[in-house]
Amino acid sequence: MDFELSSEQKDVQRAATEFARGEFDPDLVLELDESGTFPDSLWRKAAQLGFIGIHYPEAFGGQGLGLFENLLVIEAFCRADSGVGSALSTVDLGSEILLKFGSLEQKERFLTPLTKGEARLGVAFAESEDGRDLTVLSAMAEKRTDEYSLRGKKRFVLNAPLANAFLTLCQEPKEGWITLIVERQRDGIEIHPIEKMGLRMIPFGDLFFKEACVPLSSRVGEEGQGLAHVNHHHHVMALRSAAQSLGTAQGAFDRAMQHAKQREQFGRKLSQFQVIRHKLADMAVRIEGARWLTYKSAIEFDRGRMHPGSLLMAQLEAGRRLIGVVDEALQIFGGYGYTAEQAIEHYFRDAWAIGVDLGTEEEQKDAIAEILLGPDTTRK
Amino acid sequence: MLFELNDEQRAFQKRVREIYEREVSPLVEEYERKEAFPVQLFPILGAEHLLCLRCPKKYGGPGLDKVSECITVEELNRICVGIGASVMVQGGLATDPILHFGSEELKQNYLSPAVRGEKIGAFALTEPDAGSDASGIRTTAVREGEGFRINGSKTFITNGTICDFATVASYTDPTKRGTGINLFIVERDDPGFSVTKKLKKLGNHSSDTAELAFEDCYVPKERMLGDRIGGGLGQLEETLKSGRITYGARSTGVGQAAFEATLSFVKGNRRHGQALGKSQAIRFILAEMAMMLETTRYMTYRGAWLFDQGLASMKDASIVKLFCSESVQAIVQKAMAIQKSAGLMTDNPVQRFLRDGRLSKIPEGTSEIQHLVIASFLGL
Repeated sequence: MDFELSSEQKDVQRAATEFARGEFDPDLVLELDESGTFPDSLWRKAAQLGFIGIHYPEAFGGQGLGLFENLLVIEAFCRADSGVGSALSTVDLGSEILLKFGSLEQKERFLTPLTKGEARLGVAFAESEDGRDLTVLSAMAEKRTDEYSLRGKKRFVLNAPLANAFLTLCQEPKEGWITLIVERQRDGIEIHPIEKMGLRMIPFGDLFFKEACVPLSSRVGEEGQGLAHVNHHHHVMALRSAAQSLGTAQGAFDRAMQHAKQREQFGRKLSQFQVIRHKLADMAVRIEGARWLTYKSAIEFDRGRMHPGSLLMAQLEAGRRLIGVVDEALQIFGGYGYTAEQAIEHYFRDAWAIGVDLGTEEEQKDAIAEILLGPDTTRK
Repeated sequence: MLFELNDEQRAFQKRVREIYEREVSPLVEEYERKEAFPVQLFPILGAEHLLCLRCPKKYGGPGLDKVSECITVEELNRICVGIGASVMVQGGLATDPILHFGSEELKQNYLSPAVRGEKIGAFALTEPDAGSDASGIRTTAVREGEGFRINGSKTFITNGTICDFATVASYTDPTKRGTGINLFIVERDDPGFSVTKKLKKLGNHSSDTAELAFEDCYVPKERMLGDRIGGGLGQLEETLKSGRITYGARSTGVGQAAFEATLSFVKGNRRHGQALGKSQAIRFILAEMAMMLETTRYMTYRGAWLFDQGLASMKDASIVKLFCSESVQAIVQKAMAIQKSAGLMTDNPVQRFLRDGRLSKIPEGTSEIQHLVIASFLGL
């Protein structure tokens, strides 16, 4: 057992932390959140410094590091700011599918620009009101001699108005469930943006495909592989969202600590009240537990021993700890925490957006229980 | 013991619900977006006798009891917590001290117009450095000729930018911590009074919250509440007690709204091929929400009934506030978690219930302060 980061990992962590502290200006952050603007210049800078796609092979613009190093960057960014950090962490959704299943040409064409800050990627899977239910798939692709023609609707797509391409799950009568890379500028794509409560810097929307045509080379991997792609995405996202949760919780904790040490009431610092001290202790325990569950699972992943149960546990634990920690941090700020002048206000909204995006606690427990107990055969 | 509303109270509840649904519901989304209170509501609610419910008929009020007031608060907060905040301050903190301690002239000049909705009131106690520790306020009122000169700043003041008058707490004798305080009525147009900032907040968007400044603001001595210098915060005892019970009704109202929204969502949606209402985990959550809601409601009305009998101690009031504002968190959080991504959308009221409901743990004594108050009654 070794619970130390390697010196290279420490370097990554330090570099990401310094970059985020130096660049995520608090006033700029509040402005971007309020106006719902993607942090364009910060994204480009982060890419120039090699933070985007740090875990891609060098051949595709990355630094050949592991997913774990990517998580360290996400955590450091979200710690500095939940909104900017999350926006920079989700510019390459779907890259994990291309990394594992994509052709050499697809990787060169779609991954490399991500690392340069020249393109963003999104995934378009779900169709129901419920962002994750994939039991209904009505997006249909029709294979013709030199192209696929796509029609259907996808809901709650992150980066919908900004991503250059979407990995889109659809059904082809002969090929079954497949994933197509659909570039945004193709004809027949409509995007309806949706305003949301949290993570307001990340645009969000519904996609409508009306006879959108993409070349045959757009299919990722094999026929009938669509569900495997979605599962892989969910596995990687379990870890990436756990890192977002961890960083956001840590950022909320940092701010609550600082406030407790500065704010005086009844002639004492808040940090001198037993109840506040215990709240902070409790928050620290929650974050620490979620952190090691996440790190363990990420290390397993990078060593090729990915364990779905462990990923799901990390995601569930980090997600629910996040909500509790941010809520308590806001409480320590009192009335100030409720005003939008304090970052903790958007941490609260962002925490919920991070937490609910990847499924409810019930669904996560269903999945963990299935791994522990096997499928629930009584359930229809 | 009788734990039900009587026929008259039920008829009253039905009537106020109809009025709020007719007059308030259509305004909610627009004013939540504008982050402003719809001031046109004041004369409308005044004409319906729905401002200052407990104000005696002598001053134009309906002269109802606390139970009736809680019925109106629950119904209004079921529709909109933000609008409910402004109306609550009008009938509570801003005018209650005038009713208890104001001269006949002050009652005629401020209370009666407030009851009719012709004047809007605010209550200014909290300061940037004095929140939970209300005795720590620094605003002073120095005797000068036939009046007082007020200097200081106040924050988190509901109705701050729209008020015609504010009931302002300031030290007349700063050497007597806690007791050397008096309440004064300051008019909007009094020289030296200004609104320095309108605050943006996590929730309660349709209520107006501001920072106020008093710079050499002169008020005639007749505008002091009570006839002795150093009335102290003790003058607020009954008002705070009443306000804490009101917070129970506010929590019940938003809890009811969140519960109704969740029930209808669960009935109308399927997940992973199964009706949501058939999931055992979801049924348990709804059962728990129903239980929290019922207990919150009974706590509130029990507190109101005790208050009407003259039996409510501050301990009783703090128990109502603490229990209800904590319980409603579980309700609004579950409501959000069940809907996932759909709940995040700005046009889904569930995210508003979460943001609005979150407030209740903070004002008029945070949850931590309520613990302190309750403990102080236990003979420890």
